[in-house]
Amino acid sequence: MNLSELLLELFLMPLIAFLVGLTMVLWMRRIGARIQRRVGPPFLQPLYDVVKLFGKETQISHGILHDVGIIMAMGGYIAAEMLLPVPGMDGVAAYGGIITLTYLMMVPSLGLALGVGQCANPNGSIGISRALTAMLAYDVPFVIVIFGVAYHAGSANLIEIIDLQQQAGMAGWGVVEMPLLAIAGLITLQGSLGKQPFEIYVAPAEIATGPMVEMGGKYLGGLFVMQSFQFYTAAVLYVSLFLGGGESWFELLLKSFLVVTLPLSVAYLFPRYRTEDLVRLLWKWPVMIGLLGVAFVV
Amino acid sequence: MARVFDELTRFCQARSLFILHYCTGCGAIELPPVMTSRFDMERLGVSPMVTPRQADVLLVTGYVSIKTLKRVMLTYEQMGSPRYVIGICSCTVNGGMYWQSYATAKKLDEYLPVDLYIAGCMPRPEAVISGIRTLMQRIESGEADSWKEYYHNYDYYLGNQQKLFGPQWQTPVDVIGEAEQYGLLGPATRGTHTELLEQIQVPLQPLEMRL
Repeated sequence: MNLSELLLELFLMPLIAFLVGLTMVLWMRRIGARIQRRVGPPFLQPLYDVVKLFGKETQISHGILHDVGIIMAMGGYIAAEMLLPVPGMDGVAAYGGIITLTYLMMVPSLGLALGVGQCANPNGSIGISRALTAMLAYDVPFVIVIFGVAYHAGSANLIEIIDLQQQAGMAGWGVVEMPLLAIAGLITLQGSLGKQPFEIYVAPAEIATGPMVEMGGKYLGGLFVMQSFQFYTAAVLYVSLFLGGGESWFELLLKSFLVVTLPLSVAYLFPRYRTEDLVRLLWKWPVMIGLLGVAFVV
Repeated sequence: MARVFDELTRFCQARSLFILHYCTGCGAIELPPVMTSRFDMERLGVSPMVTPRQADVLLVTGYVSIKTLKRVMLTYEQMGSPRYVIGICSCTVNGGMYWQSYATAKKLDEYLPVDLYIAGCMPRPEAVISGIRTLMQRIESGEADSWKEYYHNYDYYLGNQQKLFGPQWQTPVDVIGEAEQYGLLGPATRGTHTELLEQIQVPLQPLEMRL
């Protein structure tokens, strides 16, 4: 592959991720609306929101770190998209592997922590400390799941993991061969998407959306973009690990939308756990299921 | 090209309104049906937000007492422009049934520019939705720019605020500074009232750090 093709791929992968992610945000809002017996937002609503937020005339910044934090939050995911192989495009996935990807998926939370810290809003600080605690909680089972899958495939390279599953057919999918890890992964997915019942750090009624409390205009717009990347990354990673990736875009998108539908339909039916309960729950059940799964794999 | 871009932005602004509810009056009871399954304002792209920084529209429902008005002003000045204000219920229009009260602000638009009044005691959810649709049309056609009014006529609004709250009144937001930054200075931005403000204004101090 020559350099220009690679650069084109590195440009296209985040762009497609953004567009698909926006559709997933719409999907989330539609699911919520249907569960609450509402009509829900129109088709282009997430796009209207983002354009409007970036088009605000006064932008209130709280300092350099506030700006840098949002850039880190978006940039972490943009870098993660380049390591996430999709049909027809591998990007730099062959050089990165799943461990780099895991690392990059933590960068947005840290960037957000930097940005929120500069805002000096008590609600924001409470929110971000809860968000980092939640990250600590779901990263333990996440790492166990990643380790189990990588051990099973004998490789930490996502392209190889997907190829192995696709060659073996449906019976060779991760979800069939490692059902326990797939369950643990699903619970972790709920945590990493920050959806109810693991939504304590947003909590609009109690701490005024926590980390987002001082974000307006392009800063909130950046977070909206980040959220759409987050949905895409989480869904496509889960599909690559457990559902055999996608041989065509249609297959990949179908599977990813199925994957995000599960946590989202659960989300609108549940209230929140408190932070300590969240940590207890995530360190107990997914970790136990995950370790059991790893034991079977080994 | 710039005009096309402006129109696109206005098109999106009209279809995505984040509303901050300032609900201290009785009109607040008509808003839950507007949001939930019966009338569902999310299908118009309107969704509730919880902090002034995130919001585009400030919804003031019902009477505003003088103490409340201070909070309304603090909230309004923290919102990012373009920002719109909707006054719901008769009390925001002319004091309504609180006309003789010593403790309420009678006309909301003396203290901050109001884009739209939805009169009624209280207006039904249908009226609220029709009001929001009117605001959307005005945003899309570019008529709803009363937020610029606040910068252009800051002296007038500040004067009315000082009349109510006393000459010591000041907010953490430097409105004149913002107007300079974004090129929104008008002939009536500065005046006698802002001179008084500049005399007593205490610059914002960073918060003391302690555990």
